[in-house]
Amino acid sequence: MSGALDPYSARPGVTARHFLHWLNPLAKIAGPLPFMVYLLFVRDIATPLAFLCFALLLITAGARLTPRMAMALWLGLPAVVAVLSVSFALWTDATRVDDTLLLFQIGEYRFYLGAWLIGLATACRLGALLALALISGLTMTGPDLVRALVQQLHVPYRIGYTALAAYRFVPRFRHELGGIRQAHRVRGVSGGRGPIAGLRRYLGYVVPLLVGAIRHAERVALAMDSRAFGAHQFRTERYLVPFRVRDGVFIASFWSVGAALIVAAAQVP
Amino acid sequence: MPKTDPALRLSDLRVRYDERTENRPNGVSFDVARGEVVLVLGPSGCGKSTLALALNGLVPHALAATMTGFVTVNGIRTTDAPVSRLSQEVAMVFQDPDAQIVTGTVLDEVCFGPENLLLPVAEVLERSEHALRAVGLWERRLDNPDVLSGGGKQRLAIACALAMDTPILVLDEPTANLDPVGIRDVYAVLGDIAAAGTHAVVLIEHNLDAAIDLVDRVVVLDGDGALAVSGPTREVLAGSAEELAALGVWLPVATLAGLRLRRGGIELDSLPLTPDELANMLNGIRSLPVRPANTPKSSNATGDVAVAVRNLTVTRAKTRILHDVSLEIGAGDFVTVIGANGAGKTTLVQALAGVVAPPRGTVRIGDLDPATSDARALAEHVGFVFQNPEHQFLENTVFDELAHGLRVRRRSTPGLSDAEIEVRVAVMLERFGLERLRDAHPFLLSGGQKRRLSVGTALITGAPVLVLDEPTFGQDRERANELLALLSGLHRSGTTVITVTHDLQLVAEYASHVAVMHDGRLLAFGAAGDILGDQELLERAGLSLPPLARAMRGVTSHPSWSTLTRIADLPESIE
Repeated sequence: MSGALDPYSARPGVTARHFLHWLNPLAKIAGPLPFMVYLLFVRDIATPLAFLCFALLLITAGARLTPRMAMALWLGLPAVVAVLSVSFALWTDATRVDDTLLLFQIGEYRFYLGAWLIGLATACRLGALLALALISGLTMTGPDLVRALVQQLHVPYRIGYTALAAYRFVPRFRHELGGIRQAHRVRGVSGGRGPIAGLRRYLGYVVPLLVGAIRHAERVALAMDSRAFGAHQFRTERYLVPFRVRDGVFIASFWSVGAALIVAAAQVP
Repeated sequence: MPKTDPALRLSDLRVRYDERTENRPNGVSFDVARGEVVLVLGPSGCGKSTLALALNGLVPHALAATMTGFVTVNGIRTTDAPVSRLSQEVAMVFQDPDAQIVTGTVLDEVCFGPENLLLPVAEVLERSEHALRAVGLWERRLDNPDVLSGGGKQRLAIACALAMDTPILVLDEPTANLDPVGIRDVYAVLGDIAAAGTHAVVLIEHNLDAAIDLVDRVVVLDGDGALAVSGPTREVLAGSAEELAALGVWLPVATLAGLRLRRGGIELDSLPLTPDELANMLNGIRSLPVRPANTPKSSNATGDVAVAVRNLTVTRAKTRILHDVSLEIGAGDFVTVIGANGAGKTTLVQALAGVVAPPRGTVRIGDLDPATSDARALAEHVGFVFQNPEHQFLENTVFDELAHGLRVRRRSTPGLSDAEIEVRVAVMLERFGLERLRDAHPFLLSGGQKRRLSVGTALITGAPVLVLDEPTFGQDRERANELLALLSGLHRSGTTVITVTHDLQLVAEYASHVAVMHDGRLLAFGAAGDILGDQELLERAGLSLPPLARAMRGVTSHPSWSTLTRIADLPESIE
């Protein structure tokens, strides 16, 4: 998974068939975004389920997936939705659904079909939101998104490229945190269990991590300044991320299909 | 701008950071012409790095400081132009390779600077290809910079500097974070740049043995940041050697050896700068006192074993990092683990100190198996000092930091009273020269003080074995030497010391025994003098002879000298 989230990772094996990779990142965000907002407010099962399936089909058709990623999408994601549906159901107030079918009973606890359906609706919404986000997430790189933001939305490049440089901090800090935890363990701070001791332990990591982070950020800033970062209002763009007709077509088609799904889902009783 | 201007001119430069009271540097003037390489030397804290930052205007534009005097680059005063303009005249390479990379591929990284200058795409690519070919990274242009070695990343940083197409190149400790192989690679590139004569180069470097061949002139600052000596390399380093040594400035190993030989009554016409010169001078002398053969400096009279490792194999994430390592470290020895990057040095010392639990039954420290003992019992047997001392600080004052180890132990077994802790901490404060800082916050100490405190915290519980992971990483020779002298003192008072260190001459001076690691295997373990003089062995491990050993191998007319590796073994007084 870390490879899929690496903002710099190049995707080997991307061919013409994998059309999602050839779209402007902004199009891949603009298509699903209105429906992601809409999904926050729906309460039924059919709508999120429809979008979940739609997103998965779209990704499978248009993205370059390794067998592991495909497994995670088609088996892992539904499994997570199933588990979540039961867990959410446990939180549901049983008195509101005690007129529905009783599925099982453990001691005094009764699990009703109604409760499971409420849990399933919530789990499907989360699954659908994730799947819609993955349409862009799995098929674009961090630099491409930054370039599109700078080139099409005219976000100042000083902000965009600084954010990109900050991505590089993540592995550095992970390494640093590993060192700090190891050092603290050796010094014998582990002497305690439970959430309070755990919290204190984490607070102890903050100071050295921050000191290291500030120093590192300062050095990176000096190195970037030394290479004329911010010299002009614009900088040379070697990679153009154009917004083409096909990007407009993608957004329009996505919105049409999405609208159709909403209408169709409303027909389901 | 008049054509007679030198590429770079400093005139009475003084810089005071806003939170400081004194100027560092404090009145420095010199010129650098195109095609010249100028080396800036000075003791720690004399303002060398600040001077470097002033050359492209980062001081005073980006860092809050007051600057008097002036710097001109190609006739432009740095105070009159923004850093982005000056970056077209002065390119910089800094110490930390990781802190200079901002993009995701080697090619994008080199293009970053020219892109900022808004050059046409064709020119960006042309400059980048040229720069990458110059440092030998063109074939790797599509790689993520993360996969390059330290030396590779630093060569990339040099390519990025070259792509700015500036007449001036400034390098601030470019090899301080690198292993010997990385240092060699970087200096191969810098040698080409110096030979081409296209740049005025200012180099700040403490590893004189690596840099000496390409330096034309040397500028030396004293401890107060004032200009002490300046002139051609040989004139300054050989001519003013005594003066520089007194200032606390490091000299080439061959020159240090020459100074010692002179004190020992051996007549040398001039002081040598390189191992070859030293060897030639000694060969030209008709008779030299016979030197005793290397003897291990072991104080291990009892024959006790402090740490025993038997068939230690460590596998992490399906990769075998250590392969069947067995060795016995005698009580009271000073052992250094050497090897190229990725040889398994850190993994070995972490396993034998129990920082990462080794497989059961593979390591014994005294009568303890770190695999099955808890952190507190372990702390009484072995202390571990991490590469970055800040990582291990937990408390808000130096006193509490030292007391921490004792208080943690008290929680499990009733033992020390507050008064006893007070006494033991006071002893430790005095031993490491930290008495006046007992109430200071550990993070506010200087680099050297932090390092001493971290050693103190590792020893406070009375551990007879001290393990340090690359304690000299990123430090200059003066700090490194200071630390090793401290460890040497602990060693003399009976502590078993185990370190990982890259600087083989330092190893030669201080260690009694050396373990050589290569590809996760222990290649050799034995007396320091025997191992550091074995060229074939070191080369198999991807290392090369330390400078003095290299010189002495060339001393063919005095066989008893050809195996010497330590300056301390040279005759000190007339025999």
